[in-house]
Amino acid sequence: MNWVELISMVSAGNYNEVESILREYPYIVELADHLREQKMKVIENLGTYVDITMRNVEKLGGHAYLAKNKDDARKIAGEIVGENKTVVFSKTNAAYEVGLREYLESRHNEVWETDLGEYLVQISKGWPTHIVAPALDMTREDAAKAVRKIDPSINENSKVEDIVAAVRKFLMTKYVKADVGITGANAVAADSGAIALVENEGNIRIDTVMPQVHISITGIDKIVPTLRDAMDEVMVQAAYAGIYPPTYINVTAGPSSTADIELKRVSPATGPKDFHLILLDDGRMDASQNPDLKEALLCIKCGRCYFSCPIYRILGKDWVSTKSPYNGPTGVMWNYITNKDPWPASYCVHSGGCKEVCPMKINIPEVIKYIKYMGSKNL
Amino acid sequence: MKKQEGLIRSVLYKNLMEDYTPFPLDKKLAVKWAAGLNVPRGGRVIIYTSYMYQMASVFKSYEKYVPTLGSLGKSRILASIGSRFIKPSDEDVERSVKILQNIYRMVSRVKADVGYLYEEEPYSGSLLYELGFLDEFKEYGRKVLQFFREKGVEEIITVDPHTTNTLANLKKYINFDIPFRNYISMIGTVKGSGKFVMHDSCLYSRFLDMYDTVRDKAKSAGIELIEDPTVTGKGVGFCCGGPVGPLNDELSNNIARARAAALKSVYENVLVACPLCYVNLEPYCNVRDLAEVIE
Repeated sequence: MNWVELISMVSAGNYNEVESILREYPYIVELADHLREQKMKVIENLGTYVDITMRNVEKLGGHAYLAKNKDDARKIAGEIVGENKTVVFSKTNAAYEVGLREYLESRHNEVWETDLGEYLVQISKGWPTHIVAPALDMTREDAAKAVRKIDPSINENSKVEDIVAAVRKFLMTKYVKADVGITGANAVAADSGAIALVENEGNIRIDTVMPQVHISITGIDKIVPTLRDAMDEVMVQAAYAGIYPPTYINVTAGPSSTADIELKRVSPATGPKDFHLILLDDGRMDASQNPDLKEALLCIKCGRCYFSCPIYRILGKDWVSTKSPYNGPTGVMWNYITNKDPWPASYCVHSGGCKEVCPMKINIPEVIKYIKYMGSKNL
Repeated sequence: MKKQEGLIRSVLYKNLMEDYTPFPLDKKLAVKWAAGLNVPRGGRVIIYTSYMYQMASVFKSYEKYVPTLGSLGKSRILASIGSRFIKPSDEDVERSVKILQNIYRMVSRVKADVGYLYEEEPYSGSLLYELGFLDEFKEYGRKVLQFFREKGVEEIITVDPHTTNTLANLKKYINFDIPFRNYISMIGTVKGSGKFVMHDSCLYSRFLDMYDTVRDKAKSAGIELIEDPTVTGKGVGFCCGGPVGPLNDELSNNIARARAAALKSVYENVLVACPLCYVNLEPYCNVRDLAEVIE
């Protein structure tokens, strides 16, 4: 099956799945509408919300940082991690955006992606194809070939279950010795400094509690006013990604804690003793002040717009990647915000499906038209 | 890509500002449809083709022609020579004549004295808008608006989605204040036949809120439409590849091929309502325009 056939099949499957979820759980649409309003409040006043969030993270005993750009983010994370450590990553686009894995490896750390798809991409030395399903372009045979590098018992005839089991066995050996867990955050609650993460594999849950240090790196666009909004965001993201209910929703509010003795909350307890939140700007603050661009910051990275886009369905990761972890219609916007690169926008055929399927009702074609225009000024 | 964009912008802008057409074209071919019907010249209400049906195959191959067009320079003589070899086939011309005549007849049943600007008709500027050349689009749009005003045009009837969408954006950007309507939303009772899967124009369905308008018109005429929500749904029914054609013909064709394959998985005969969708999909599936199957 070639890429075009594969993505056609996957797109139809996603469409049916999401439609079915929205029929079965009609409150998701209401949550999405409310979430849009809440996120817009933050975008309109991003600087203030960054300050509130950082203050509340510190109040919980965590450490908060604002990274202005990619370099800044790498340096902050690099200083926290140090050298010669074992680091487990959950899938995090912000880390990809700043090139964090490669940077930590260059500092003599052993770094492993623990999301299955991302792990397959890592050991294949590839680049994520889709924001939610990074190894979307890999067949069972491709996955087997990649995993054979770490488990010789895997071959082209191995079942999917066997391939998954081999990865699980390998990663378990890394989890138990990991010094640092690095995750993203689907949402960050300004009112409490808590982060929310949604997943199905269980790797994020392990990454966030087994290593003694947990670093979350995420964009300032992920800030929402309250923890309730953060919970809404993970539910909406999961539903529009086509997997609902999600297997796990994780909330992390500071380092591990206990109030079992005299109801006095103390840290650390069993889990991480340190929690660090790196909030990444990298063009987002500027975008929030640009009326033609700011709507892009509403994106919750569900990846649904990819499937409705004719260009993505032909070019796949050859479109925006490997310049950016963000691909498809939202990737055109995000590549511009984070890399100031307008050229992928030239390919946009204003098909318009992206705005129809976007849970945040972002007028993506309108934003892309602006980016095209900005590109045309430099012809 | 960047170089191609730059070349297109300069060629397109120059041609439009000098001659109101995106490339040197044989206007006798473009107006042939109207001559046969004795359509009034000019008038208060006009049908506006913007050369879309007549020159669709040339628009599709714009990428191929741009280097030639660029080299023609400003010479009128060279431009005249250019128009002789950059032209649609006889078969394409005859097809466009039939379509435009049919549209005109359907429109005339509900609106009297609809005129046409013949050789003076200006191109709308769709390509400028769609390629993101917004400064040039606005400048040319003002020129077009002024031209229509000078001709005494008070109402415009469009025949294709690109021109309709362009006027909608001129209204937004430069306050283009001449009322316009698309023919599908104004024609009355029509008859038709056949069984098709609908390939929606992106602009009609997702930008001009005409997803149901086009379907309702076809169905009320007696046409049977086969639907599959994963192929023809509003959010997933994607492009024919046309808009990227001027920049990358191969990519455009690959999109068309993929779209045709999806449509054929629903039904063998495809219905479109856009001249560019037709020329893009036609190599890969059996396709007819709405104006070929209703009357």
